[in-house]
Amino acid sequence: MSDTNSFPGLPQVFNFFKNLFSHVLRTSNNVPQHIGLIMDGNRRWAKRKHVEIKEGHNAGFHSMSRALELCYEAGVSTATVFAFSIENFKRSAAEVDSLMNLARSGIRQVVQNGEMAEKFGVKIKVIGDRRLLPDDVLQEIETAEEITKNNTRAVLNICFPYTGRDELIHSIKANIDSMSSGQLEASDIDENQIDKYLYTAESPPVDLLIRTSGVTRLSDFLLWQASRRGVVIEFLDCLWPDFGSRQMAWILLKFAFNRSYRASDLDFEEETDGDATANPNKNHM
Amino acid sequence: MSKIQDTVLKRQDDNWRENEQDHKRVPAITNGFKNPGKPSVGNVKKVLETAVLVPPNSEEVRRKLAQRNKTGMWGQSGGRLEYAMYKTLLSVLLVIYACVRYAQYEYNRVKILVLNLAYSPSNTPQLIRQDVLKLQKLPRRLAAILEKKREGDVGGGVSGVLNDGSELVAWSVSAGIKHLILYDHDGHLKRNVDDFRNNVSHKLSKFYDPSNVPRFAVRVPQWNKVYFNTPGAEVGAAKKVAIEISLLSNRDGRETIIDLTRTMAELCAQNEMKLSDITMKLIDSELTQLVGHEPDLLLYFGPSLDLQGFPPWHIRLTEFYWEQDNDQVTYSVFIRGLKKFASCKMNVGK
Repeated sequence: MSDTNSFPGLPQVFNFFKNLFSHVLRTSNNVPQHIGLIMDGNRRWAKRKHVEIKEGHNAGFHSMSRALELCYEAGVSTATVFAFSIENFKRSAAEVDSLMNLARSGIRQVVQNGEMAEKFGVKIKVIGDRRLLPDDVLQEIETAEEITKNNTRAVLNICFPYTGRDELIHSIKANIDSMSSGQLEASDIDENQIDKYLYTAESPPVDLLIRTSGVTRLSDFLLWQASRRGVVIEFLDCLWPDFGSRQMAWILLKFAFNRSYRASDLDFEEETDGDATANPNKNHM
Repeated sequence: MSKIQDTVLKRQDDNWRENEQDHKRVPAITNGFKNPGKPSVGNVKKVLETAVLVPPNSEEVRRKLAQRNKTGMWGQSGGRLEYAMYKTLLSVLLVIYACVRYAQYEYNRVKILVLNLAYSPSNTPQLIRQDVLKLQKLPRRLAAILEKKREGDVGGGVSGVLNDGSELVAWSVSAGIKHLILYDHDGHLKRNVDDFRNNVSHKLSKFYDPSNVPRFAVRVPQWNKVYFNTPGAEVGAAKKVAIEISLLSNRDGRETIIDLTRTMAELCAQNEMKLSDITMKLIDSELTQLVGHEPDLLLYFGPSLDLQGFPPWHIRLTEFYWEQDNDQVTYSVFIRGLKKFASCKMNVGK
């Protein structure tokens, strides 16, 4: 978006290759369906560049658009981004304010003139405990969701404000609630049932999670979804504003390669897909 | 709320005894069959074959392709041609990736070899002590994910898992870590808990003077049981133990959360509990009782991080550590994990 390449024509060439890459990757049939992003390092980036923290968050927003553009173009159907944790309310009031402002303007930008919504037909959903948000932000969110609700090409889940444990409790409560209203038996509660009431219920299962800035923790993001076996978790050392199309492309390529690799490895497939009936000899202990 | 726990535990017990769900549900181990990171020419060839020859089966791709046929940058007739071109480019990309990956893999393997040479504890707690004393902080609770390797490989089979587990116990005791959580997806450790205890005691007697082997407790939260020392030597249960080991499996993760939900649902139906009673604090304390505390550091000994169904509630702020392309349980990964933990800064939400 804001690539500041001085050489004339270079951005166009760059864009051409970017599109080509995503179309090529799309034909591999091994693109993640649902990506989770923890966009960490905006503040450290700002400090390093000696600019205001606000600028850091702005740069992070652009970085996100760049990465998502590539993903959606390559065939990723859902992205879930960790915008604001419930824990973030602990930050200084000024910063919380500026984050709320950024969210408001960011959402407005995406909806009104941002190419993302139009070009990709992105449906925006804000998930999390929305009761904690100020009214004006909530209104902005509702407008955005209303405008983009008929887009079907891709989904962008914005976690705002969110924590994984909170989501889990939300689902547990919803399950118990629907049981007490008679729609459900206690014995019906299982993993799918919990999945059904998570905030990410309508999305395909998460198969790739990316976190930047060298921190190797989940920090309460998509706990239930990411602890599943087979979910690829990538921790990168670069700060989020420095995360560009190149890194994203590399991760997607890696993912596609590993998936093709596994698909071609017959042993592997037998082992993962076969349950007890397929290979009973494995279960004798 | 001990009633909740009792019910959940009973439910788990029933499941375990009656239909031996663990035996049925659990798929066989996938990793460690061979190091999945390890590239080979044959596999790259197979990758290319699948990538190029298998047509995309997603509706989305097909629609996009059809759309491209009309407006593609290669004109009207170019649809198929374009598709073929994309496939060719894809294989070129994959070959380039494979080459880079191969170099990376070799580099990482050499690095791991050198590290293994540099850090070798050779069964002496003093050396481990020395390594640990340099660190500013230690994890209070350490967790490790173990995997069963293929039967017949070096360190494979169940005995391999038991051996890896007891080595970790010995290192942790030497490092002064009081709580160790060992997770293996299929529950091999807890199913062979007696063998495991013997193994641990054997390993510890190699590290320490046989007359003064540190005492340990093995906890299996799923059965709500605690075992002390080796079978037949349970005396001194009341005495202090040097380390407490929890054995977890896939059962202690999602399944336990589901059991808890069911139990609470039943209590709510019987009006013994209200929906508003269910809070973060309650669930956290229940799951702490049922499974254990959240570990501070989680070590993974596979080539690329895969949480394998580790209890989701318990990895909120856990630091992960693994070594790229490594496939063995080695001391160098253990100590480097501790070093990484000592150097990381924790700031919740800020």
